[in-house]
Amino acid sequence: MGRSDRMLVAAALLAGLAGIAISAYLTIVHYAALPLVCTTTGIISCERVLGSPYSVIAGSGLPTSAAGIVWFSVSAGLALVQLTGRGSARQARLHLAWSAVGLATVLYLVFLEIVQLGALCIWCSSAHALVVLTFLITLTRTQTFSAPTAH
Amino acid sequence: MRKPVSRTPTWLPAAASVGGIALVVVAFLAYRWATTPAPPVISPNSAALVISTITSLPATQLEQAGTGSAKNSIKKVSGSTLIGPNGKPEVFYLGAEYCPYCAAERWPMIIALSRFGTFTGLQTTTSSSTDIYPNTPTFTFRSATFASQYVAFQSVETSDRNQNALQTQTSDQQALVSKYDTTNSIPFVDFGNHYAFAGAMYLPDILGNMSWQQVADSLQQPGSPQARAILGSANLITAAICQISGQQPAAVCSGSSIQSIEAGLGG
Repeated sequence: MGRSDRMLVAAALLAGLAGIAISAYLTIVHYAALPLVCTTTGIISCERVLGSPYSVIAGSGLPTSAAGIVWFSVSAGLALVQLTGRGSARQARLHLAWSAVGLATVLYLVFLEIVQLGALCIWCSSAHALVVLTFLITLTRTQTFSAPTAH
Repeated sequence: MRKPVSRTPTWLPAAASVGGIALVVVAFLAYRWATTPAPPVISPNSAALVISTITSLPATQLEQAGTGSAKNSIKKVSGSTLIGPNGKPEVFYLGAEYCPYCAAERWPMIIALSRFGTFTGLQTTTSSSTDIYPNTPTFTFRSATFASQYVAFQSVETSDRNQNALQTQTSDQQALVSKYDTTNSIPFVDFGNHYAFAGAMYLPDILGNMSWQQVADSLQQPGSPQARAILGSANLITAAICQISGQQPAAVCSGSSIQSIEAGLGG
């Protein structure tokens, strides 16, 4: 693994750790019923988003942020495996596939925020940005692995 | 030796993805904008009638409402009593015209304060068309004055419904907000530095797609969601004002509902 490739994987690892921190904070706030540090200004309203029926996984009492903990943990784990090992193309593709799942989920959640609720939660948006960043990193890495070579 | 042959730059798929994601988000925003209803309109005569109606609600109607479905978010705070220009304890309001929560809270604010004095210069408006709870029918304090022998009322509407800057706080008001509005939310209301609350006491969705007249009419129906929320909130605000007005006027503050709420607020 080259130096620039290692930096990309390290960035994905950091994004995963930051995402775990944000998701854990939102999950703690959900279960402990603590006041959320968030302004209610203009379209920004964490209260509106996190107080909506979409803030829990359908059919369960689990907050959506708990799924965020799982997603970011797996993503960080995949990055760590690649960082500590040789970083195979298969691992990079697996990470890309996982990121694509995350990206699809993020687009759905953004749809709910903008279209259904008309409000954005700044904490959620930060986590979404980290998922998009992870997707872009893994996509770029996969391109590096699949770049055509000649003798 | 293997030499890479670059046909497509490795960054291109990522750049294309960013563009694709941006397009999807813009499409969501456009859809939301296209499906947002136009703000309702009201004639000057109808506006005057609505304002007259809500500023002169019968005491018995308010007494019967109790706290209704309102969320009591009034907290006791400590500090030297805030005194208004007329030498009376001051009620201070901070909000903005675009803000739907402020739109919801102005209804009970006006109803409650009208039990202690007289408003002039109230105007109808709606919250932002593009914010959550779009076009919530309400009023604005931007040109309003309030005369009372019991309390003073000062208000700041920081932005108009299109989020253009409107009024600015004085340095004293900024200090007050920094001290008591710990969640940095609007609307924020301070009752003489003895009680304060931030946010609306009910969700604005119950005013969705209603005209001012319809909201005013709904207040005449005791069991309506609007009456339960707005009159209940007005009673909570009334009780807080009674706490700083020295229980004056007695005709307002001695009502059993207000007394009961005041007991819950703590002296």
